[in-house]
Amino acid sequence: MIFGVRHSVVVATLLATLGAVVLAVLTWKGSQVTSESFLVTTYIGLFLGALWAMYATGLVVVYTTTGVFNFAQGAIGVFSAFLYWELHVNRGWHSILALFVVVCLFAPALGVTLDAVIMRRLRTASLVVQLMVTVAIMVLLLSVVGDIWEADTPRRVPYLFGINNGIDLGPSQLPWHRLIVFVVAIAIAVSMRFLLRRTRIGTAMRAVVDNRELAALNGARPNVVSSTSWALGSMLGALGGILIAPELGLDPATLNNVVIIAFAAAAFGALRNLPMAVIGAMLIGLLRAHTGAWLDFGPDFRFAHLAVAPLILLFVVVALPQARLEVGRLAHHLRRHERYTKWWEGLIGCGVVILLAVAFSGGWLDFGIWDPGAWGSRELNSANEAMALALIGLSLVPLIGWAGQINFAPLAFAGFGAFVYLKFAGDSGNGYWILLVGLLCAPLGALVALPAARLRGLYLALMTMAFAQAMSLIFFPHPWVMPIIGTGRQFPHIELFGVTFDDRRGFFLLMVCVFAIFVYGLVLLRRSRYGRRWMAINDSQAAAATLGVPVVWTKVVVYAVSASMAGIAGVFWATVSGNVDSVQGFDLLIGFNIVLLVAAAGVSIPMAGIFLIFIPLFKGFGLRLEDAGNVDFLVTLLDIMTTYGPGLMVLGMVFNPRGAIFEMGRGFSPILPWRRDARAEIAAENAQKREPEIGELGIDRPFTPEEVIAIDRRLGILDEVVPKEGYGTARS
Amino acid sequence: MALLEAEQVVMRFGGVVALDNASVDIDIGEVTGLIGPNGAGKTTLFNVVTGLLPPTSGRVKFDGVDITRATVAKRSQMGIARTFQKLEAFNTLSAFDNVRVAVEKNHRAKWKHRRVGDVAHEMLGKVGLDEVADVTVGTLPTGSARLVELARALACRPRVLLLDEPSSGLNEDETSSIGELLLGLVADEDNELAVLLVEHDMSFVMGVCARIHVLDFGKIIAVGTPIEVQGDSAVRAAYLGSDEFRGAYVELDE
Repeated sequence: MIFGVRHSVVVATLLATLGAVVLAVLTWKGSQVTSESFLVTTYIGLFLGALWAMYATGLVVVYTTTGVFNFAQGAIGVFSAFLYWELHVNRGWHSILALFVVVCLFAPALGVTLDAVIMRRLRTASLVVQLMVTVAIMVLLLSVVGDIWEADTPRRVPYLFGINNGIDLGPSQLPWHRLIVFVVAIAIAVSMRFLLRRTRIGTAMRAVVDNRELAALNGARPNVVSSTSWALGSMLGALGGILIAPELGLDPATLNNVVIIAFAAAAFGALRNLPMAVIGAMLIGLLRAHTGAWLDFGPDFRFAHLAVAPLILLFVVVALPQARLEVGRLAHHLRRHERYTKWWEGLIGCGVVILLAVAFSGGWLDFGIWDPGAWGSRELNSANEAMALALIGLSLVPLIGWAGQINFAPLAFAGFGAFVYLKFAGDSGNGYWILLVGLLCAPLGALVALPAARLRGLYLALMTMAFAQAMSLIFFPHPWVMPIIGTGRQFPHIELFGVTFDDRRGFFLLMVCVFAIFVYGLVLLRRSRYGRRWMAINDSQAAAATLGVPVVWTKVVVYAVSASMAGIAGVFWATVSGNVDSVQGFDLLIGFNIVLLVAAAGVSIPMAGIFLIFIPLFKGFGLRLEDAGNVDFLVTLLDIMTTYGPGLMVLGMVFNPRGAIFEMGRGFSPILPWRRDARAEIAAENAQKREPEIGELGIDRPFTPEEVIAIDRRLGILDEVVPKEGYGTARS
Repeated sequence: MALLEAEQVVMRFGGVVALDNASVDIDIGEVTGLIGPNGAGKTTLFNVVTGLLPPTSGRVKFDGVDITRATVAKRSQMGIARTFQKLEAFNTLSAFDNVRVAVEKNHRAKWKHRRVGDVAHEMLGKVGLDEVADVTVGTLPTGSARLVELARALACRPRVLLLDEPSSGLNEDETSSIGELLLGLVADEDNELAVLLVEHDMSFVMGVCARIHVLDFGKIIAVGTPIEVQGDSAVRAAYLGSDEFRGAYVELDE
């Protein structure tokens, strides 16, 4: 402590100030600062801050009262803004009526529905499932928006209160719209604070998140409370979306990215403190406005001024105190024997995959219209792209699946891998440099994880998102990093063991082999002490620490391994398209989709990676169908599956958190002759299903004799305690 | 000299004082009891000693060294191991792997000449869980999962073992065999082991503990042998109306 302030805060503040001063001196534009221009910039900053504060308020309200951090907050805003446009502009409703319908009817209904159908069930879910599901809702909402309001029509949302008149400030004007937005945002934040701290429902809301059962016993109604929270959060998202749309334009991606700034603002208030979150939003707004006005980063860093939010997030993460190691959650299931894939099983599995790929791409397996032997370059290209994405997806298995840490930036690591490869192997295409890529990406992963690894998992997730954004705004656009040279291939065909993989089919096989090697490596890793340790920190960090496991360091290592795999995958990904466009042109959404798909498939099982091979098959299938004509219905179906599939599948995690592959594996493994254990497990499960349903323990009604026996059996004490004469009639 | 000493530990959570100048010392070769009504601060003291909570003030000394600011992992390496009142087993791992994580981490320092698997099996055997070695711990009954935690703590080859209500979820036979196990472990001089035991089962506490600290509202109100503690008027006042203590008292009187 220095003057009563935590060390980490002092260090972070000093670093941030120093960085800001250095940056300001280096990039000072030289334009004259007058009191008027300063004032104008300041009020623009405050106005932007107020809009972000509205989003951040919604995030904080939902998080403090339900414990779920809502990644879909921005998408709710996007959807609402489009709906508002539809009603007001397209159908000509009065703006106040449209506003009322969207914010006061649609948004709360959406919030309550989300809560009732999905969010309520996430209360005891792991962080991975919670985040994945809200991200899935985000992706789904954005897909719906894209389908209903197609991007080809230009749309504008008018300013709610006019932009051309307002308070006169000498040379410029403060329009009513902005002034009112500012006042409304502050009023909302203040009233939410009042609601949470000073009212009965607010107290109930905060109590429910701490202990739902206890709060319920004291008269709070948990379901009403959580629905109220979601309705409020959703309304704030809707209002924010409608008010910010006139400023940014009605573009889903742009509008959705606003939420990242709101994340940073919410983090500024440690996700729970409303006033600090609002201050954080204002601070980001001011910084953004003033950097835009006075600093010039030059053409090479033309997007750098947009990267204020990721940097604020970094600052917050460094300044936050070490998280306490939290007590985990406990779930009871049927007794199950833990079993890892044996090394020879993995070998057989990978061999089968490679053989299938060879047979498939060689055209030996003929599936009629699905005959890949007849695939042209277009189909193979898309298959190759998807295969490369599947490789990137594999990098998430140890990280998300085992260690329970989230990474929304697999593509940023992949892009960095491509960059390293471009710099070293450049024109030669020499494949051995891929090993160096793996080595150099590891420290980058460690670096990203290092500041946030000592905090709760949510901060790491936010940190990776900030990293992805910072990379796409600052690093990748720099001409030295990814020089765009005419139209030629910057990434030449990979040459390995004296073979140049210049035809698409050969390259596909190469990637399948790399895929198999990755999967097999993961199988071995999972059986190793490292895999065990990573799963241990996922289950209980506190317990792992008391056994001597350095938790922070372990997390950093997992990130390094994951980044290294993603980097290697990135080389293949860049080579598929041959130029830097694919590396530069990604957005966060593609990254989200990869993460979602892997999570839905069952990210803890290495063999689940094989699931991702279905993506190229589907893609190629869709293209073939299109060529064949007359199958519009199927093409549309495949289209819907590709657009909504990942999101919908992840929603399935609410009910089955271990993912699709896990269930498929349980269905498949009893068929294998050596898996007697799997057959026994199924038998035990069926036996349990025949037992009476026990229900909530003794709270709502007395037990029947059958239930007493069922409970005893489940506790494993049946033989010891059941009296000879049995319980009443049930035994006789 | 005591192996582990907590000196004048104060722990405040906002306005709540969970520990108020609490001092506890435990010696090698003994099971020391820590009892007190619910909410007295027993688990908080465990958390301070193991480093999960930084105390507001006060010191923790291990083997004469001040470890108040040492990390959790560091303390573990020095020889402090614990179990948890609210289960913290690795639920997705098998019982065997739970123990194996602990053995692997401490292999180089403490189990150099033995194979990891052998040590893990031995520890599971000590708590009587050989049969469920391959079962996922999240699917075991609470009592067994608690024993997994005990085996895992033993696999760290601790010099100080902190047990937070090990008997809850166990039946009488199992509880008494845990008691015998603890007495055997501390009696073995090679182990140089000291145990601190938090328990609500008074006959268990009175049966295995050489000395008992009594905690009430964050303060240590009595220290002494089981007989001394039971005769202490402050302790009786703290437990007044509590059947668990009265029951134990009567039982021992007999």
